[in-house]
Amino acid sequence: MLLASGLTIIFGILNVPNFAQGHLYMVAAYLGFYMVMSYAVNYWLALVLATFALGILGVVVYFLVFYPIRNAPEVNLFVGAMALLMILEGGALYLFGTETKWFLIPWTRGVLSFGGLSLQVQRLIVIAGTVVVMTALWLFIKKTSLGAALEATAQHREGALLCGIKVSRISAMAFVVGTALAGFAGVLIGPAVLLMPTMGMGPLLVAFSAIIFGGLGSIAGAMLGAVLLGVIESLASGYISATYSLTFVFGIMIVTLLFRPKGLLGKEVWRP
Amino acid sequence: MKKVLSPMRIGWSLALVLAIVLPLVVGEYMTSILLLIAIWSIVAVSLNLLYGYTGQLSLGHSAFFGIGAYALGLIAVKLHIGFWPAFFAATAITGLFGFLVGIPALKLRGPYFVLVTLGFAAIVGVILLAWVDFTGGANGLAGMPRPNPLPLPSGGSLRFDSLLSMYYFVLFFLVAISLICHRLVHSLIGQTFIAISHDENLAEALGINTMRQKLISFTISALFSGMAGALYASYNVVISPDLAHFARGMDVLACLIVGGAGTMAGPVIGTFVMMAIPEALQIVPSLKTFINGVILLLFIVFLPAGITGGFKALFSKRDIQG
Amino acid sequence: MALLEVSSLSKLFGGLMAVSSLSFSVEQGQLVSIIGPNGAGKTTLFNLLTGVYKPTSGRVLFEGKDITGCKPFQSARIGIGRTFQRTMVFARETVLDNVMIGQALHVKNGVWGAIARSAAARREEIKVREKARSLLDFVGLAHTEERQAGTLTEEAQKRLSIAMVLAADPKLLLLDEPTGGVNLEEIGGLIELVQKIRQSGITVCLIEHKMRMVMSMSDHIIVLNYGTNIAEGTPAEVAGNSEVIKAYLGARRVA
Repeated sequence: MLLASGLTIIFGILNVPNFAQGHLYMVAAYLGFYMVMSYAVNYWLALVLATFALGILGVVVYFLVFYPIRNAPEVNLFVGAMALLMILEGGALYLFGTETKWFLIPWTRGVLSFGGLSLQVQRLIVIAGTVVVMTALWLFIKKTSLGAALEATAQHREGALLCGIKVSRISAMAFVVGTALAGFAGVLIGPAVLLMPTMGMGPLLVAFSAIIFGGLGSIAGAMLGAVLLGVIESLASGYISATYSLTFVFGIMIVTLLFRPKGLLGKEVWRP
Repeated sequence: MKKVLSPMRIGWSLALVLAIVLPLVVGEYMTSILLLIAIWSIVAVSLNLLYGYTGQLSLGHSAFFGIGAYALGLIAVKLHIGFWPAFFAATAITGLFGFLVGIPALKLRGPYFVLVTLGFAAIVGVILLAWVDFTGGANGLAGMPRPNPLPLPSGGSLRFDSLLSMYYFVLFFLVAISLICHRLVHSLIGQTFIAISHDENLAEALGINTMRQKLISFTISALFSGMAGALYASYNVVISPDLAHFARGMDVLACLIVGGAGTMAGPVIGTFVMMAIPEALQIVPSLKTFINGVILLLFIVFLPAGITGGFKALFSKRDIQG
Repeated sequence: MALLEVSSLSKLFGGLMAVSSLSFSVEQGQLVSIIGPNGAGKTTLFNLLTGVYKPTSGRVLFEGKDITGCKPFQSARIGIGRTFQRTMVFARETVLDNVMIGQALHVKNGVWGAIARSAAARREEIKVREKARSLLDFVGLAHTEERQAGTLTEEAQKRLSIAMVLAADPKLLLLDEPTGGVNLEEIGGLIELVQKIRQSGITVCLIEHKMRMVMSMSDHIIVLNYGTNIAEGTPAEVAGNSEVIKAYLGARRVA
C-alpha cells in the first residue's frame, strides 16, 4: 500500500545513513501500542507523544552514537547505525517476544466502502497522514531557508560548509527530524499492520529502493519513486504474491541500478 | 607490504597447536562450540577480505552462508549426488551468486551499497522461508550428508562420522582459507584492494579498474562464505531458513570489527571472543543480538580498530593502519 | 598528429557553463601551461580529459583516438597521468607501497598467481618493487621508502604523487598546480623535477599560477577564462596579449 510511500519520504529525504530508521519506526509502533492498549491513551495523543518521544530518542542516539564518530571514516558510521539496529531489535525481541501483536483502536476493523472499493479506515488515515507530511516537508525544504540549508547539506557537504552553513548542526537536526518522523510513522501505520520486532526492515528496504528508483540526490525523485513503488508494491501484492512483493520491489531497484543508475530524476551527485 | 613479524608467526603456530589439541582435552560440548566458532570464523575471514581489505561493508553475507548450506542440501539430498561433488558445486554456486549480485551492488558506494547487500540478505531470507516446495520452508531440510570417507594412502580411510573428525575437517578449511586470504592480501592484487579501501577515487585515477577488483574481492568473499555454509550443513545435518537471516550477517560483522578488521588475526579472535564468552557466561540466546549490538557500539566508538588494533597500539610506536 | 587534441569541449553543470567550446592541441614533447584566473575551468578541463566528468559536448582525441567520456581508469591506461590540486596519496600506506600501487594497472598476474605464489607472481612483485625504488630515486625521495606517506611534508607528498603517476608510464602528464602550497625554497626543486620529466620524453601539461615559473618553462601557454581559451601562444606572445591582461586585472569571479 501507500504505506511504503509515507515511510520513504520520511526516511529518504534526509540522506543520513541511518539504517536503524526502520527500527526506530518499530520502536515507535510498540510505544504507541503500549500507550493505547495498556494505558488507554487517546490514539491521536499517542501519535503526538510518540513523535516527540522518538525525536528525543533521536537526540540521545545522535549524541551517543553519531556525534562521537562523525569524523571517522564513513564506514564507521554505518557500523554504528548497524550496532544501533542490533540493539533495538535485540531489545525488542527480548522485551516483546516474537509473537506478533495487534495494535487495536476502536476503528481498526472498520472499513469504508465507496463505489465497490473497500478500504480499511486506518489505511485511509495513513494515506492522509502521509500526504500531510509529504506536503509539509516539501514546503519546508523548498520554501524555508532552513530547508534549503538541509537540501544543500544533503547534496554536497563541502559546498555547504563553504557557504557558511553549520553542517554539523544541520545534520543533527536532520537526524532528529528523521527520527521524529519515524515516530509519527510508527503510530500512524502501526494499527494497519502486525507488530513484530522485525517490522522495520521491510519499509526501510522499500524506502531505500524508492530513493534509488526515483533518483539519488533529488527530493522530488524520492517522492515520486515512493509513490510509484508504493503502487507497484500493492499491485504486486494483489496480482503476483504478497510474500514476494518485497522481492519484486527489490528487483526493480536492481534493474534500475543496472540500466539507469541515476534513477528517474537523479542528478549527478558531486563526489569530491 | 607488511612484513610478518616473528612474534606473529609464533602466535599463529601456538594458536594452531591449541586449536588442534584443545578438542582432545575438553568435552564434546565444548568441541561442538569450537566447531561452530571455526565455521563462523571462516565467514568472518571471508568478510574481512571484502570489508577489512577492500573497504566494502556488506551486510548480506548471511545470504551467501545460507545459499551454500541450501545448495549442498538440495544437490546432495534431492539430486542424490555424493558429498564431494555437491560440496564443490555448492561453493561454486554461491560464488556465482556473489558475482551476479556484486555486479549491480558494487556500482553503488557508501550507504547504498550497504543497503543493497542488506536487502539481498532480506530477500534470500524471504525466499528460503516462502518457497516451501523447494526449500522445505520453515521446517528446513534434513539429511545433509557427511563427507564420504577419503581413502588414505596407507590403506583404510578417513571417516567423518564423529564430531572430532568434523571439527578437524572444518579446521582444515579455516586454515586453508586463511592462508589463501593471507596470500591474496599480501600480493600485488591485495595492494589494489587495500588502495580501494583507503581511497577509491585515487585508486581509479591511478588506472585501477576498481569495479573489477571489487567484484573479484566480493565473489571470493561470497564463495568462502558459501563454503562455510555448506560445511555447517554437513555438520548439523539439518538446516533451516534462519541460518540466512540478516541478523547472522550482522553478528559476524560485529565479530569481525570487535576482533579487528583489516588484520589476519582479527576475524578469528573476534569470532572466538564474541561466541565463546557468551557460552561461558551462559547468556540467554534471546539477548545475544542486543549484547552484540552494545559491544559493537562500544568498540566502534572507542576502539574502532578492534582487539588487534588495541594490541598493536599498545605494543608499537609506529603508525599502523587501523 | 598532435598527442592530445581537444575540440569544442563543453561542460554544463546545472546552470553553469564551466567549460565552453574549448579547443586546443598539445604536441608530443611539449611543455604546455594552462593559466587563467580562479574559476576559469582549468581543473574542470583536467577532469574532462581524464574522464572524471563526461563532457556535455565536444571531443577529446589522444594519439588520434577518440577518448571522449571514457572512465578515469581507462584514461590512465591509455597513457594519461594526472595529479590533483589537493595532494592525493594513500596516507596510511608506506611511500614505497604508494608507488607500487601506481603500477597496478600494468600488473599481469592475477588472483591465481597470487594465491599460489607462483614464480611469475613473485618475479613480478620484485620487478614492481625495484621500479618503485628507482622512481622514488628519480623524484628525490629515495630515503623515505618505509615512512608512512601521511607523515611526509607537503612538498614531499607532491613528489610522491608525481612518482605514483609516473609509475604507470604515462605519455602525457597532467599536473594540477604542482607547486601549490609549497614553500618558496622548495619550488625550485619541483621545477627541476618537472624539467627532468619533460626531458625523459613525457609530454607535460601544467596548471599553474606562478607566472615566472610558467613563462620560463613553457613551450606553449593556453590562457583560460570563463571556460574558454582567450589566448594561446609562446610565453612572449601571451605576456603581451591585452585580453590576458584584462582577464587577470579585470572583474574577478568568485571561485
